Amino acid sequence: MSDGDAEPDEEAGPDPESGSDPPDGRGSEGRATRREAPDRTPRGRAATGENDRDPEPAAGNGAEANRAGTDPPGRDAEPAATTGDHSTEGSEVTPEEIDVDELTGPVRRLDPRVRYVWVLGSVVGALVLGGIAGVVGFVAFDRPLLGPAVFLFLLGLGAVLAVLRYRSWSYEVREDSLYLERGVLTHTRTVVPYVRIQHVDASRGPVERALGLATAVVYTAGSRGADVSIPGLTTDRADDLQERLKRLAIAAEGEDAV
Amino acid sequence: MPAHRLAPLSVFYRAGETVMRLAWLLVIATIGSRSMGVPTEVGVGVVAAGLVLALVYQFVYWERYEYELTGDTFDIRSGVLSKRTREIPLGRIQNVDLRRNVVQRALGIAEVRLETAGGSETEAQLRFVGEDEAERLRDAVSRRKRGVSDDSAESEPEAELLFAVTPRELLILGVTSVDLRLLSLASVFLPVLLPSLTDRFGDPLVSFAMAAPLGAFGLAVAAAVLSGLYSITNYYGFRLSRAGSELRYERGLLQQFAGTIPLEKVQTLAVTENVLARRLGYASLSVETAGYAPGDSSGSQSAVPIAERERVFSLARSVDAFGDPDWQRPPKRARARYVVRYVSLVLVLTGIAYAVDRFTGLSYAWYYVLLGVPLAPVGAHLKWRNLAYAVCEDHVLTRAGFWSRETRVVPYYRIQTVVHSQSVFQRRRHLATVLVDTAGGGGITGSDARAIDIDADDAAALRETVHDRLQDSLTEARAVRRRRRLESITAAGTGPGPDVSPGD
Repeated sequence: MSDGDAEPDEEAGPDPESGSDPPDGRGSEGRATRREAPDRTPRGRAATGENDRDPEPAAGNGAEANRAGTDPPGRDAEPAATTGDHSTEGSEVTPEEIDVDELTGPVRRLDPRVRYVWVLGSVVGALVLGGIAGVVGFVAFDRPLLGPAVFLFLLGLGAVLAVLRYRSWSYEVREDSLYLERGVLTHTRTVVPYVRIQHVDASRGPVERALGLATAVVYTAGSRGADVSIPGLTTDRADDLQERLKRLAIAAEGEDAV
Repeated sequence: MPAHRLAPLSVFYRAGETVMRLAWLLVIATIGSRSMGVPTEVGVGVVAAGLVLALVYQFVYWERYEYELTGDTFDIRSGVLSKRTREIPLGRIQNVDLRRNVVQRALGIAEVRLETAGGSETEAQLRFVGEDEAERLRDAVSRRKRGVSDDSAESEPEAELLFAVTPRELLILGVTSVDLRLLSLASVFLPVLLPSLTDRFGDPLVSFAMAAPLGAFGLAVAAAVLSGLYSITNYYGFRLSRAGSELRYERGLLQQFAGTIPLEKVQTLAVTENVLARRLGYASLSVETAGYAPGDSSGSQSAVPIAERERVFSLARSVDAFGDPDWQRPPKRARARYVVRYVSLVLVLTGIAYAVDRFTGLSYAWYYVLLGVPLAPVGAHLKWRNLAYAVCEDHVLTRAGFWSRETRVVPYYRIQTVVHSQSVFQRRRHLATVLVDTAGGGGITGSDARAIDIDADDAAALRETVHDRLQDSLTEARAVRRRRRLESITAAGTGPGPDVSPGD
């Protein structure tokens, strides 16, 4: 556990942003996590940018590889470490013990690979409709090319929609609510206060599993509860988000979830 | 307290119910036995065996069904083949409903339902207990929720009658509650009835022109009378009273309903006035709690079926005191949007009418459909005029609908999520819709609280305001709860004090 905590600090050492941190960071565990709070955000953002835009090439070069390799586990270990801290003290986490600032984050985008998930989804739809059109075109109108044409058109439409959808998606873990922005034809912005969160699921479909992605589904007691889901998260990020939202929900003292 | 059983008579009622449900078997058995030459006795025998089996099963069910009201939970142990034990924390119970139909009333038994927020179905359904027992249960549950033990001397809080329906109001209810959905049913039956009517007259064209309006009119009247009668029997003898922190209602002529609505669980208030009731100055109030599954229009949420508008609002304020709304209207360009929408609807209908005229043998003056175009601005204006929203101190109010205008009052404290959406057409006119979701019923009939087609900047501001006010109200509630807990701790210094239930 302490390894996980120390590692990002060592890696962050040469980083100018957090260069002054390691010396006083060695003190106590509790202080270490708390101290993380201020410099977490900019560093997190930088790392996010890299991971989001270009996950594969980053692994190729030296210094970047270091960061790309260690940062996600570091971020991953962080909430795990804090959970460990609290769970050793006692199974009950009281809302006062949770530092909310540490759990919030900047506006984030989805993983770009989510576009492939969506495109694959539209391939299925295009195949079905294209097949129907093909049969009808062949039998009734004697136009064998109708099927492929419909298929290609729908596929193109699906691809364009997937790109636009990816561009429109963003989410933000704010201080007291989760904020989502999405939608191509209809722009939708949803605010989910943490107090209202009943539970958070991480679901992974077959295509998502193949790409290493996951969807976080946030349930509230509202009549449109299951509407709030965030697709296209890396597995680590989905777990992280699930853990964060859980802790934020506890911090929000969800005694009155209904 | 010892465990209780259901009423013994429920064995016979439930067995009877099972047999009735299988009554179609009887029909098949008798018909089948006759046509196949098997003596009728066999069919009767099958049914008799079924009845005996049902009786045995229901007896075992009754014998194994036990319920118990402990200090802070309601426990049920049941199950004939697979056993089930269920504990419901009293603090989580939203509503307690009693209902009994004519037969159950004759037998002196009643059904008790306990609703909690979770799950899609009723959490506990006692079928059936004696009438006295049902009332005892209801009172005991609400007493324990208040944290008063059974044998304490503290008496029931005085029930204060808030509303009792008068025959006059009942009549108005019957007239105004003509369900427009029944009219759509009429349009389904019209084509079926028409051919038989057309036969009566000689000339088919004349007869069609005569019969269609006549048939429609007749069906509409029948539907109106039926739905009117339905609401009259449903709300006959409606009484709403307030006992402590609970609302209690009872209603019904044939099937009787009685229940409690805990005030601290109220999610949304909705005042509905349809176009007819609005003319007469009447309205109805419904109180939504999280107990009912979305779309469950069991009607038990209705707090006041009908009363004068002023009275409805004052009753609503006595349930949840909301301020005087300062209504904000959508901008005029929203109305232009509806004009475009309705005109295009008319044009599409005209297109369909033309296609029918062109491609089927039926030929008629399809262009008459275009007469709908001048109606579009009127409709748009009526829709626009009824749209509004208001931000009050502790509540957000929304209003919408011309045919049935609904005013929804949502306390900030009850908001679940806030959704702000902008379609392509809305973006063109810089408009947006804000939806405020609560855990209340919602569903098919009850729409959500929405501020429709307001200015996009206002919408963004509204979204943030509503969210901020929710956080403020939570902080406030937290402070109150802490203070109360502290008080209860100091009070408990001498002995075990009453538990502060989590839902408080």
